Amino acid sequence: MSLFEKFSALAATRATLGDSGPAPIATPIERVLSATRGVIAGREVILAGTNNYLGLTFEPSVVKAAQDALTELGTGTTGSRMANGSYADHRALEAELAGAFGWPSAIVFSTGYQANLGALSGLVGDGEYLLVDSDSHASIYDGCRLSQAQTIRFRHNDPDNLDRRLARLGDDARKALVVVEGLYSMLGDQPPLDEFVEVKNRHGAWLLVDEAHSFGVFGERGLGLTEQMGLLDEVDFIVGTFSKSLAGIGGFCVSPHAELEMLRLASRPYIFTASPSPAVIAATRQALALLVEGKELRERLHRNIQHLYREVKAMGHELGSEQPGPVMAIILPDRASALNHWRGLLEHGVYANLMIPPATPAGLNLLRISLSAAHSEADIDQIVAALDSMREQPPKSATG
Amino acid sequence: MNETRKRVDEAIDLAMAAALPELGQVDRDAALTGDLGLDSVQIMNLVMEIEDNLDVSVPVDILAEVRSLNQLADRLCALVGDT
Repeated sequence: MSLFEKFSALAATRATLGDSGPAPIATPIERVLSATRGVIAGREVILAGTNNYLGLTFEPSVVKAAQDALTELGTGTTGSRMANGSYADHRALEAELAGAFGWPSAIVFSTGYQANLGALSGLVGDGEYLLVDSDSHASIYDGCRLSQAQTIRFRHNDPDNLDRRLARLGDDARKALVVVEGLYSMLGDQPPLDEFVEVKNRHGAWLLVDEAHSFGVFGERGLGLTEQMGLLDEVDFIVGTFSKSLAGIGGFCVSPHAELEMLRLASRPYIFTASPSPAVIAATRQALALLVEGKELRERLHRNIQHLYREVKAMGHELGSEQPGPVMAIILPDRASALNHWRGLLEHGVYANLMIPPATPAGLNLLRISLSAAHSEADIDQIVAALDSMREQPPKSATG
Repeated sequence: MNETRKRVDEAIDLAMAAALPELGQVDRDAALTGDLGLDSVQIMNLVMEIEDNLDVSVPVDILAEVRSLNQLADRLCALVGDT
């Protein structure tokens, strides 16, 4: 009997991915050259498997803000927000996030994962309910586990299913927080947010939208799907991350309810962890300013999205979503085929993501391509050409 | 067998046929993960089908405690009995 025995199924899954060539899971990126270029297995590739949607990781003003803060404020805070880790810049970033939404309160967390953990476990407790989309990110499920609330899943992107579940709760629906995402990162699909709003309003429930992948991407000011659909007045909480469009690391929860501030005293993932380093906060403040004013960046990103969707649909690939977005999931028939495509793209100089069960919904095997405003038209052409060549001639080394 | 258990077992049968037709008839005391080889997503999808068939919501924490279809049926009987 060994503590490690339970990992045997995981080891067996990993073994199916082969041991020759670069690992498709946790792929080592030897060097990062720019927002869209890196070195993998000794050769330069296009990075089409990051979440760098606005391409800000090397933006000079963002880098300089981090450098200046590093020099002026040091490498880390060495403590939690509750103790010694609450600097003026943390509060300034929170004020800027709240200001972007026109709301009274925003709280910064040390990671996006912790933002969901902290918001869900702190906001909803014993005798209350969390109703979460079945395709929710692991951070949402883990936030539910940390909460004392009863967690109920509803079918993915199905307002009618949510309606039935809220109806079963009766008057208790008023003590229920509904959780959806602005963009689901596995299939790249979006929720019918207006229909969810109608259902939750009818039952008097609360609504949290996780805009981790949609913040910076959708909406006139980049605030996410909620802004794009004109629903900012209809939601109670928005959670987001700094590690995608904002090109750093960290997370936030923002709300039109000023009482959100009390979460600082009740949320364990907020209280019992070190606060983000000064360099991260400074870079995020600058990136946020660029994001809010970043209409041109979003236009570039969406041109790239339209370009790729047009070409890939013409190839006849089955996609995870018909709604074009920064994440394109190509559905492949089995794991071997998905692995073949992943290796083939890499051989053609394109790094994408391989996604396989149990990380994917409905047991799907996916090749996931993520786009950036920093990709050029030539980059998109190269991604398309790599996919096209896979149809005609699968790579010789991709059988393992 | 009482009426509630009969209804629950029928709902499980229907859900198994819809969500996991490749398994065919299975031992209801078999471990869902160990013996039947189901992953967490497959179990969640199976329970979604059962929830629709019975018009009941199963709290997620119950799933973590259930090891077999018979254990799931026991918990479902309690839930259906509550409604």
